[in-house]
This record gives sequence, C-alpha cells and structure tokens, in this order.
Amino acid sequence: MIRTGRAPASRSGRRRAGHPSKPALFLMLGLLASASMPLAAQAQGTGPNPLCAACHNPDGNSTIPENPKLAGLDAEYIAKQLADFRKHKRVSETMGPMAGQITEADIDVLAAYYSEQKPTPGVVTDPKLAAQGQVIYDEGIVGSAVPACSGCHNEDGSGTAKYPRLAGQHTAYMVQQMKNFKNGVRNNDIREVMSAVAKRMTEQEMKAVAEYIAGLKGGNP
Amino acid sequence: MRSMLIVALALLPVCAALADAPDTAASPRGIGAKDYVWNRMTPEQVEVLRKTGDAARGREAFRGCRGCHRSDGFGRVDGIYPKLTGQHAAVIIKQVTDIRAGVRINPKMEPFSSDHAVSPQEIADIAAFLAAETTIKENGKGPGDQVRVGEQIYTQRGCFKCHGRRGEGNEEKMYPAVAAQHYSYLLREMQLIKLEARGNSHPDMVTVLRDFSTADLEAVADYLSRMPDHRQARAPEGGK
Repeated sequence: MIRTGRAPASRSGRRRAGHPSKPALFLMLGLLASASMPLAAQAQGTGPNPLCAACHNPDGNSTIPENPKLAGLDAEYIAKQLADFRKHKRVSETMGPMAGQITEADIDVLAAYYSEQKPTPGVVTDPKLAAQGQVIYDEGIVGSAVPACSGCHNEDGSGTAKYPRLAGQHTAYMVQQMKNFKNGVRNNDIREVMSAVAKRMTEQEMKAVAEYIAGLKGGNP
Repeated sequence: MRSMLIVALALLPVCAALADAPDTAASPRGIGAKDYVWNRMTPEQVEVLRKTGDAARGREAFRGCRGCHRSDGFGRVDGIYPKLTGQHAAVIIKQVTDIRAGVRINPKMEPFSSDHAVSPQEIADIAAFLAAETTIKENGKGPGDQVRVGEQIYTQRGCFKCHGRRGEGNEEKMYPAVAAQHYSYLLREMQLIKLEARGNSHPDMVTVLRDFSTADLEAVADYLSRMPDHRQARAPEGGK
C-alpha cells in the first residue's frame, strides 16, 4: 500500500490512510524506548502514535489484558471513542488524560491507522466457560431478555456498521466494559443500547461471553 | 394503503398540535390515559408510513433486531419473541413507532427500537423486508385440543370482523395478522391487552377480551396458532 502523509478528507478515505513502513515502526519504538522527547510532541500525521503505542502496542494489538486491542476496529468507532474521551463523555482514569494530549486532527488519522491494522487472535483459557458464552452470544438469555450478541456484533464478532468489532478482544477488558455499561461508569453508547443489554446480565454471564469472544476470529482466519 | 395515507395526512395538523403539548413522559400515554385515542398517529409514524420501504435494505437494517427475533425474523417458537415475517408492513411500522413513542409498553424492546438502532427509513425498510419474507416455518403451536372451541369463540365474539376469517388482519386499518403466530405469544399479548398493560391496544380489543376467561384465551390462541399462515391460505390451491 502507498503510504501517504495526508489526513483523509472523507470518511471513505479514512480506511485508506497511511500505513507506516516497517522502518518507521522501529523508529517509533526506538523513540519510545529512549523517551528522549515528550510523548505528545511526537504525535504525527500518520502511523502509530508512540503515545498510544505505549499501552496499545504500535500495531494496536495491546498485550496488556486491561487495555483493548484497537487493531481492526472500525475507524468511525475509534474516532467516536477518542472524541468522547476528549469531551469526557467516556470517562477513564487512563485514557482521559491521554486523549487530552492529542488534537482533533489526530483523531481521524489515528482511527484510520488502527482500523487498518491486522488484529491478533485472542486467548481462550477456559473452553468450558467459552462454550457457555457461545450460547449467550448466539441465543441470548431468554429469561432476562438479553438479546443474542451476534445480532448486532455478527456471528463472527466482526461487528457491523453501528456496532463495534469484538472478536479476539481481551477478556479482562471486555468484562470491565460490560460492567462499566451496567453500572453506568460507561454511558457513551448512543441511546444506551449496550447499557440496556449489560444491565440485564450477571457478571458470570459477562465472563462467559467475554471468554467466547476471545476465541472469535471476526473474519480473520 | 392509499386511503390510510389520506387519513394519515388528514391527521397531520392534529399531530402538529400534539407536538406542542407538554411532555407527559411520566404518565402513561397509552390506553388508560385520559386522552388516549387508538392509532392517533405521531408525526414520526406518518413520516415512516410515507416512505417507500426497500426489502433488501431492510434485511440489512434488521441486523439490530435479530438478536431477539432471529436472523429470519421468525422469533422463537416458545413465543418469547414473536414471529414478524408475513406481518403487514403498516402493522410493523405502527408497533415500532408506538414503542418508540412510549405508547406501547415494551421495556424489553425499547432500547433496540430507539432512533439510533433504527432510523425512520430503516423502519420502513425492515417492515418491507418482513412483510415480503417468504420463508414459512412451523410456528409454536398450542396443545391442539382447543381448536374447535377457539374457532367458536373467534366467530361468536366477532374477532374475525377485524382480524379476518383466515386471521389475515387488515393492513389498511393496521389490524395485525394473527394466523400462525406462536401460541405463547398470542396468549401473552391477549392477556396484556385484557389487563390494559400493552399500552397501544384498540379499546374494542380490551372490551371484547374483558369477558374472556383464561380458558377462552387459551382456546383462541390454540386456534390461531394452528391456522395456516395467512399468505399460505391465500395461495390458490387445487382442492383441500
């Protein structure tokens, strides 16, 4: 793919915004390791932002279970989350201050970059729990009116235009987000669609679903 | 459909006046409210009814609904979620917009029928998709031993006058098709209507059902659940 340095002008252009070259990635990593510059000052027009890479890895595949993988998420979804962090509509001890350090102009570029990265597979540690999660994911929970997750997020967890990709996401992050939706800590879902779902779920059900989601491929074999 | 639209357009000034009325979110807007009028169309309902639904787009927009109503719109045979396929487009539109407006009480569905989940155009598209969906599967049926009784009640109490001899309903009047619906769903909704707990019920339905015993409701549900799908029944057949 051609690497361009320009921020895309249109939404459709977002996805095509620049990939960094391998050398550029190493350069970024080097910069990060040396920490010779304030991170914010390194924010650039394209590619992985060292500020983000510290927690989410340069390719957006965070290896810290509490921090979400960003790779392969829909650009529009990433952009909305960043904007919400900046406006304190989504509140996070960690991400709030980080999002405050990037500019409005960075949002689209970062969103495009991470949406283009290839997500790594998730880790399933408890297949039995994952099997329980699959029932919830594909059938919902009738007794408590929980819709099947697959309805909005797709059978393979790849997400749809309105609802984010889940496949391969860290279980710790997934469970935390569902809990946040349930107890109102996170409430930046439009018209509270996800909050309504989470409020109907128990923590055990959330863990099971998260375990199953970790094993979903989301269109990536 | 046209006459319905004319009625809808005639009601527009009324709707505009209503829009200025103070918000009564705290009080029930449905049946039981002092000024309840069945099928008093909200501006949004009029808007959606005017749109031309596209079944192909509707299949796509239906993604947000299939978590409960399943990917084919058939719901669940245990009746927890109704079968939507083959329902009249206008009826789907009325029910969704009524839930959105807080007239039909359906807390389960409320978040998923919001304007983020489905836009007015998407409601029209989904309605077109569901009405045209031709897959006809075995619905959830009643015990089967009350069909005769159910048929008698359906005829004697005049249910057929609105819902049709074949349970086909009436699209122009927004009366739902009830044939071959899941048994438990039919039973539950009739009970809710009887108790005035469904919100957007026709007052005549409440009046009629008030005299129904539980056994009567079960018999009618049994009968309706064992009717052939009204689209199947409509198809010309050699002989039967």
